[in-house]
Amino acid sequence: MTDYAIIAEDLTYYYDDLTAVNHINFQVAEGEILGFLGPNGAGKTTTVKMLTGQMKPRGGRAVLLGMDVAKNIEKVQGNIGVCFETTNLYEQMTAIENLNLFARLFGVKPFYAIEYLSRVGLEGRGKDKVETYSKGMKQRLMVARSLVNRPQILFLDEPTAGLDPASSEAIREVILREKERGATVFLTTHDMMEADKLSDRVVFMNQGNIVALDTPLNLKRQYGRRALKVKVATGSGALEDREIVLDTPETPSNIQELFMHEQVVTVHSEEATLEDIFINITGRGLTE
Amino acid sequence: MNWRIIGTLVSKDLSLFFRKKGILAITILGLVFYLIIYFVMPGTVSENLKIGIHAPELPPVFQHLPEEGLEISIVDSEEILRQSVSDGTYIVGISLPPDFIEKLNTGQKPDVNLYFTADAPEEIRVAMETLVNEFASTLTGQVMTVEVSEEILGQDLLGTPVPPRDRLRPLLAIFIIFMEILGLANLISEEVERRTAQALLVTPATVIDLFTAKGIAGIGLAFVQAVLFMAIVGGMNVNPMIILVVLFIGAALATGLAFLISAFAKDFMSVLAWSIPVLVILIVPSLGVMIPGAITGWVKVIPSYYLVDAVHRVANYGSGWGDVWTSLLILFGYTIVIIGFGILVLRRKLQ
Repeated sequence: MTDYAIIAEDLTYYYDDLTAVNHINFQVAEGEILGFLGPNGAGKTTTVKMLTGQMKPRGGRAVLLGMDVAKNIEKVQGNIGVCFETTNLYEQMTAIENLNLFARLFGVKPFYAIEYLSRVGLEGRGKDKVETYSKGMKQRLMVARSLVNRPQILFLDEPTAGLDPASSEAIREVILREKERGATVFLTTHDMMEADKLSDRVVFMNQGNIVALDTPLNLKRQYGRRALKVKVATGSGALEDREIVLDTPETPSNIQELFMHEQVVTVHSEEATLEDIFINITGRGLTE
Repeated sequence: MNWRIIGTLVSKDLSLFFRKKGILAITILGLVFYLIIYFVMPGTVSENLKIGIHAPELPPVFQHLPEEGLEISIVDSEEILRQSVSDGTYIVGISLPPDFIEKLNTGQKPDVNLYFTADAPEEIRVAMETLVNEFASTLTGQVMTVEVSEEILGQDLLGTPVPPRDRLRPLLAIFIIFMEILGLANLISEEVERRTAQALLVTPATVIDLFTAKGIAGIGLAFVQAVLFMAIVGGMNVNPMIILVVLFIGAALATGLAFLISAFAKDFMSVLAWSIPVLVILIVPSLGVMIPGAITGWVKVIPSYYLVDAVHRVANYGSGWGDVWTSLLILFGYTIVIIGFGILVLRRKLQ
């Protein structure tokens, strides 16, 4: 039997007349990376807040590491790490002071801040005040802060949003190393490539509901459309585009016919992205 | 409640407070400034009323005036008397005509001119008129037949002379305590607006730990400064335990108000905008100590009245627990209500 790090049972939250999260159910296995995707207002942040004990569910319950979050909030919060989307560091403190503060709150002893800073490439700036940091450096420090208690579950909310490629890559490496260590990662992101690359499974949220939950590959198989993009030369020498949809009974004959009767110049395969699949399922884009 | 976490949070709050150069400067300079104000104020009380009298022939009864706490000077002419009152040498000038005694003896009314400085209180004007009439009655042999007795109910706060600088002590102590509202409210509002509180609340730290830590830091900062000030200005020479208790409750009241203000404020400017009216209201009761009789009973609805009253009575009149316990109780009640309300409002904002 699989041990689940996170169980959402009929989790519900509403603000007055607006249902933000509508009776959702899912489980995340220990050591799994779950990509949590959806447009703004889909209910992602509300779900994360309920899972991390920042908000009490109006209905249902969240179980983390076998404990009901509402009943064991302090115990649960001692074993999770949360990296927020918005920077919320103590800017007048140095990076080392920020990390030491949170290590003391978690009761981590002994604690070597420099070790955590080196994991996110900030070892040379530990004694600088955070207010002198760039956005990317602050975000990396936020990730480092979420790791100080060696959490069993790591919640990351848009950890690479708006960052330069080097910072994004550094954070992705940290996520993968955390998975290797055995941590469960709950990753909220708008970056479909990132979700595709890192996540074992992804959840699509739309208007408070889970509309899909599976591995990226299965979702692409189920909802996506693969095709060959071909450029052919016409009699006059001009190039024309052709498309052959894959995974249909006619695909082999269509390919054969193309190569027999046309002068093929280039062939590329095209695969659906998670964004395409989301649009396919919900009829709206992730950035709407 | 986890005291290890609370200790960590208090140390963080104090560290952040002392890193804010503006707030730190206001705090230290304020303390120094208040001490300077205190020490430049007169340290003694002169209760003698300076009176100039012009009288070609001074009636014997007027020769007893110095014994009544009045300082009498004889002036050569009415013109000089007018000038001396006008330039403030005397507060009151009495000009008796040459035929003053003669007219009294023949049953006529002599014309007596009284001169007062522009800022002479109404009470002194009335008192002087009464005094002259009384002396005239004595001179004509019509001694007053009514024996008037006086009884001050409670402690005689006006009758006991208190130097101006000591009257200032409650006002300055109030200032020191309530100026901390600014620093603490700013610290809390930043914690909420910059969402660092959110980061703290996903660790084992609870909302109660957070409020307790803020309370300890806020009360500590205000209390230590107020105690330091009172110790330097001699306000702890009598019944220091009562002064410590009063200042502690006052510091807690300031912390409660800081909770409330930070729930509404978003940045330092809005903290300032909310705090100034609150500070002005809170210092009103201390004006009653500076200028006795200047304010009426409505001032008792202001919580700081009970703080001022207790500090004033204990530091300036040596009152004991029995004299100030009601003020302490009411102040404590106000403090509990304000802290409770502050926590309620701020908690809603945090969540």
